[in-house]
Amino acid sequence: MSHFDWGSGAIVKPEQPKKKKNVQIIPAQTDLKRRAVNFVKGFDINLSSEQIEELEQVVQRSSETFVRDIGKDLMECRKTVIAGLGDKSKRPQAITAAGDLAYSVKALGGTFQYPLMTQIAKSMETFVADRTTANEKQLLVLQLHIDSLYVILAGRVTGFGSTVEQATVAALTKLTERYEDPRE
Amino acid sequence: MNAKIDFSKISFLIVDGDKISAQVVYDTLAYLGASHIQRVKSPNNAFDVLRTEKIDIVICEWRLHGMDGLEFLDVMRNSTNSPNRFIPVIMLTAHSELRYVTTARDLGITEFLAKPFNAKALYSRLVSVITRPRVFVNTGTYFGPDRRRRQVEFDGPDRRSMDE
Repeated sequence: MSHFDWGSGAIVKPEQPKKKKNVQIIPAQTDLKRRAVNFVKGFDINLSSEQIEELEQVVQRSSETFVRDIGKDLMECRKTVIAGLGDKSKRPQAITAAGDLAYSVKALGGTFQYPLMTQIAKSMETFVADRTTANEKQLLVLQLHIDSLYVILAGRVTGFGSTVEQATVAALTKLTERYEDPRE
Repeated sequence: MNAKIDFSKISFLIVDGDKISAQVVYDTLAYLGASHIQRVKSPNNAFDVLRTEKIDIVICEWRLHGMDGLEFLDVMRNSTNSPNRFIPVIMLTAHSELRYVTTARDLGITEFLAKPFNAKALYSRLVSVITRPRVFVNTGTYFGPDRRRRQVEFDGPDRRSMDE
């Protein structure tokens, strides 16, 4: 109820109680922890460097599959891009194929010790992002990316390569910037 | 004595359209001793599995054909038809930019793993999900694990009222 404050000479309204946000806190589900964490069987929560090394070798088992499958995908994508150069109606298909391939290589290259492929694929993915088609020069830029990826894969260039490879990556990025427009 | 994780007690579902990526995760889990691992290529198949089998942890790729990983997560956390709103979801993606991480976090992701990943990173996400379960928060606009990882000391009567 409001009242007259003799001190300030003003009519004072009582403070309305603040509305609290309706937040529900649900306790953590500990079932998984209860079932799986123990002191007898399984893998240490903090793995030793040897155990991490062994686990990494398990990941690397798929390395050969990566080289084989991505090699095949690169060849197929190159064919699709070349088809797009000669036939405008095939360009959207080439863009989709290039986008899928770029994402796969970007995602997996580094896992299998090909971080250079991840770098180039990233440049390629940025270039095709939000495109539905491309002009001739843009398709040629894509083709250069695909060829570079293939050379790295065929030459088994692991790691980030030498200055030559890094210069190639920089050149490809510059090319994508130069031919970025029009983006349709 | 060190605490261990017995992965044979946990069931996994991998949702990934990429054959190699799914294989890497599968191999890693199998090596760790997990015996119940399901692999599917699309969220629709994932829902079928989740409705018929007991799955403890979902490992999902963001980029999927049809419904993507984010939409899948949204349905899992917020739909009345969700098979399990509380299931831990580890999101794998090559979209590692900050905006993607925050988007996934705000839809209730449990852990985020940027590709290309290594075995150590995957293992640490699994350990986190299993050994450090988080409280769930349900507000009008968010349902999912508590997004505040760092517990900051607050000297006051009502921390949330500061937001207003």
